[in-house]
Amino acid sequence: MSGKKYTVSHVGAQITHFLTRILKRARLRVTPEVREPEPRYTDFENPDLVVNFTGPDVGLLLENKAELLLALEHLTHEMLRMPPQDHALVVFDANDYRMLRIEELRLSALAAAEKVKATHQPFRFNPMSSRERRILHLALRNEPGVRSESAGEGPNRGVVIYPAEMPSNAPPAPPRGPSAGRRRR
Amino acid sequence: MAGMKELVEDIAKALVDIPEQVSVREVQGEQVTVLELRVAPSDLGKVIGKQGRTARSIRTLLGAAGMKLNRRFTLEILE
Repeated sequence: MSGKKYTVSHVGAQITHFLTRILKRARLRVTPEVREPEPRYTDFENPDLVVNFTGPDVGLLLENKAELLLALEHLTHEMLRMPPQDHALVVFDANDYRMLRIEELRLSALAAAEKVKATHQPFRFNPMSSRERRILHLALRNEPGVRSESAGEGPNRGVVIYPAEMPSNAPPAPPRGPSAGRRRR
Repeated sequence: MAGMKELVEDIAKALVDIPEQVSVREVQGEQVTVLELRVAPSDLGKVIGKQGRTARSIRTLLGAAGMKLNRRFTLEILE
């Protein structure tokens, strides 16, 4: 009955094998578990599979906006030869990072929308991944008086919130907002 | 430094179409170890990725592993 494209029985062992090997080489003391997602936040994310990590080095995975967790996720997507439109179907998580990040993005979107309504000025978020931009758009879709768009190219692409009646070519305010963008150690 | 060459090899072999043509050379400097990755020309895009994202992911992993070993590793992808 499941219309899932990626299942534990189909790709679980392949993912576990790949990750276990490279995590051991990198001396990262975390263990991946491939599982079906719990049904929560399905408005925002509805993956086929979740790869959840536990272990003493979980904190390292989540540093710098989960840079390492997302790097492992990206390498796994590429290892599985997943087309880009499928990437949201296999997501990586640890310590409920995703759920907390969705909540953070949702609240930021609503706060920014209030600001746009009060000031009649566009608000530009820092650049984000397509998945995070999607969460902002979804959080704003029923918000009256504002509309959201993505602007910029590649790694500089970010969400801009406009007053509903303002055209898109209006100059947006300088970047600011809750996503600290990409930082290097 | 034990294992980092193999780490890059393992990842690259999993990503490319021609794993037999993956090779990694380790060049030890005083502060930094350079890992030189070679793949088949047709596989270059697979290890670099769109906007360099795959190469960046490998570098992130090397960075974390390097912290554990107190050594800096850099990845060079050779054409």
